[in-house]
Amino acid sequence: MELIVNAYINRWTIQTYVWVLTLLLPALVVIGYALGAEGETLRHLKETVLTHTVLNTLYLIAGTATVASILGIGSAYLTTFYTFRFEKTIALLLAMPFVIPAYIIGFVYGDLFGFFGPVHLMLRDWGVKGYFDVLNFYSVVLILGFALYPYVYLIVKASFSKSRSSLLYPALNLGAGKFRLFWKLILPLSRPAIAGALTLVIMECISEYGTVKYYGVDTLSTAIFTAWFGLEDPQSAAYIASIATALVLFVLLAEKFARSGATYKSEKLLSKIPKEPLKGFFALGAYLFMAVPIMFGFLIPLAWILYYGVEYLSNVMSEEFLGVMLNTFIVSGSSAALIVAGALLIGYTARNFPYGINRYLSKAASLGYALPGAVIAVGIVILTTSYDNFVGVNIFSGTMAVLIFGYVARFSAVAINTVEGSFERLGLSVNKASRSLGQSHIQTLWRIEVPLMKRSLIFAYALVFVDTIKELPLTLILRPFNYETLATKTYEMAESQMVYESSIYALSIIFISIIPITLTIMKTEH
Amino acid sequence: MLKKIILSALVTLSMYAAEVNVYSHRHYPSDAELFKRFTAQTGIKINLIKASSDELISRLEKEGKNSPADVLITVDAARLHIAKEKGLLTPLKSKVLEANVPAHLRDKQGYWYALTKRARVLVYNKETMSPAKLSTYEALATPAFKGKVLVQSSNNVYNQSLLAGLIVHEGEAKASAWARGVVANMARKPSGKDVDQIRAVAAGMGDVAIINTYYLGQLLASDRPSDQAVGEMVAVYFPNQKTTGTHINVSGAGITASSKNRAEAQKFIEFLSSPEAQSVFAEVNYEYPVNPKVKPSKLLSSWGKFKEDKIELYKLGENNVKAVKIFNESGWN
Repeated sequence: MELIVNAYINRWTIQTYVWVLTLLLPALVVIGYALGAEGETLRHLKETVLTHTVLNTLYLIAGTATVASILGIGSAYLTTFYTFRFEKTIALLLAMPFVIPAYIIGFVYGDLFGFFGPVHLMLRDWGVKGYFDVLNFYSVVLILGFALYPYVYLIVKASFSKSRSSLLYPALNLGAGKFRLFWKLILPLSRPAIAGALTLVIMECISEYGTVKYYGVDTLSTAIFTAWFGLEDPQSAAYIASIATALVLFVLLAEKFARSGATYKSEKLLSKIPKEPLKGFFALGAYLFMAVPIMFGFLIPLAWILYYGVEYLSNVMSEEFLGVMLNTFIVSGSSAALIVAGALLIGYTARNFPYGINRYLSKAASLGYALPGAVIAVGIVILTTSYDNFVGVNIFSGTMAVLIFGYVARFSAVAINTVEGSFERLGLSVNKASRSLGQSHIQTLWRIEVPLMKRSLIFAYALVFVDTIKELPLTLILRPFNYETLATKTYEMAESQMVYESSIYALSIIFISIIPITLTIMKTEH
Repeated sequence: MLKKIILSALVTLSMYAAEVNVYSHRHYPSDAELFKRFTAQTGIKINLIKASSDELISRLEKEGKNSPADVLITVDAARLHIAKEKGLLTPLKSKVLEANVPAHLRDKQGYWYALTKRARVLVYNKETMSPAKLSTYEALATPAFKGKVLVQSSNNVYNQSLLAGLIVHEGEAKASAWARGVVANMARKPSGKDVDQIRAVAAGMGDVAIINTYYLGQLLASDRPSDQAVGEMVAVYFPNQKTTGTHINVSGAGITASSKNRAEAQKFIEFLSSPEAQSVFAEVNYEYPVNPKVKPSKLLSSWGKFKEDKIELYKLGENNVKAVKIFNESGWN
């Protein structure tokens, strides 16, 4: 009993509870609104749009998760277990769609395949009559699949690399074919990683707003806006947001379940099995397989943006551009640092005190990721302004701190996912040894474990940094006066038909994001 | 020396004092140009946050009396009315504004003033549709237009206002029947924006689309040859000329209830209604000026004069929720 009490109430856990509660507050405030939403508007929504928006959301999740799994697991497998020409370059390029925001990919394809875009014009030049329309559900599945599969690719590849262990070598010696090995051993061993990655993909699908709206697919995310603003009923909107949240909770628990049966011990006996060269038709197929996501997820959108961006390259030297750049770096850099620090706190508590609710802390802290950015933003506006109104002075409203709070509440899931896995791999033995030598928790974490987890932490920082640079709806609502980031600038110019001028900002998002992602991949390749 | 310091401190302070904090939904190049001119002429600095009106209204509501905002600018009349109803605006009496903005384009008590007008018109494919077959919005719901109508999602505030107008003119039952009729006639499920509807009409996916006028203006003025070509393939039709008039909406501004810079905010809105500013709205963004002294751009004039729906604009706001419900019931996503 005493042990359990100690596990709940110590400085370490209490700090974690406070942090997790802070992350949850914006979502809780919004969902709190939903209580007692059994009003006329809600009945109306249930009778009209709710069923098919829930179904659309589920279809979107199923479709996107399928595309992302096939592309992500397939390319992780090929790049881990085979050698081929340009292997390093291709492995790197496969991660690149991550740096282009989904709304930009969506916009580029809307333009490229639009009725008067380059593709249609070319077909007409060739005398082809007729047209096709890409603004539909299937396009969204493909766009999100191409934009999000790098989550699966990166996380699963990292886990594959660790599977090249003592287990596989004997299996190969015993004559197991490579495909059999993949299905029977590698894939099951990577189940936790796949589940973790798909969780992120699914949460992105639920919160996605820009692309689904443009392509005419109504999901829970668009229904929230209809209820909140169209029907002027925040309660019903909160009710729909809580359906989205319930969906996410279900996915998170399923993931927890998927992880629980897994052996996830540190692989000390890592004896490298030799990579096999790609040969013959299989090689051709493999190249094609990897070329598809690289082309559609990265090269084509990049080419489109470059083509139009070059013209406006001189704008880069303007004071305005530099200011936007600086804003972006300050706010994304500090948010990512806070998020990773918080993830360390949560991960540490979850591992060292794995009792009762402590086991669910990381799941709870991940909720913000699944709600549309605008919902989190409104939750934060409610929180900070009621505080300000209570004390009678504007302390928070309209400051950069509010924006950073928004990013932290929204993107903590991304870092927690990585950091938690890293803690699990590290195990408790090092930690126990250190503390038995008289080091405190914080000393152990800071001096021993953080250096050991350095790669995962850098990886988590890079992922979050890139995510915050790309973030749009929350930034629009929470930003201070005259405050533009690369994302708001891209969006605003694209909205006002200055699509080509906007490409220079889109290009900056891409190039800034490429650097941390490339560095981390090169580091993890070692 | 001390005097100098105090003086310069005062000057700096007064410079800081001379500012207007604006929440705006307008994201057009015309506005940046106008804000620059206003600051150059008056020394009053404009601080700006751009987001959708709904989100800005929500932010204003939560910020309450501590809100830093002085002026709210929206792109439709319904949101102005909603902001007024929520007590977020404060009335403004101004001789200048009363002279510059016609009575039906401003709030009776002066809570908001329209800055520009936009007409929600039909564009048709010149090859496949004869304008003789076009008449009213209502006609688009008849079987003659099966598979021919293109229009964007009901999330769009301009569609909400259009239907709200119909509710005012014809009642809820007829408005509801209209929405169902249009859904049955759609060439595709609503997707894309107004510009995408124009492109779809030009490509022949449907024959007629419901759009706001300035989108066509932007296409015709584009640097891109394919955009100009699209603009040339379609023509504008002003519906309901023999009945209620073509539906118009406004982009407008009001001073917030929490404003701490009322005098500056008033100057700012007055400036936006001035002939100088109005012609920038008209020429750069192809909107119809509200100031009767300013003519629409050449392009807009070339489409001809038309009879406007003179409905009192606040009614669009009053009926907005009803409109959204009808859309939901009709399956217009």
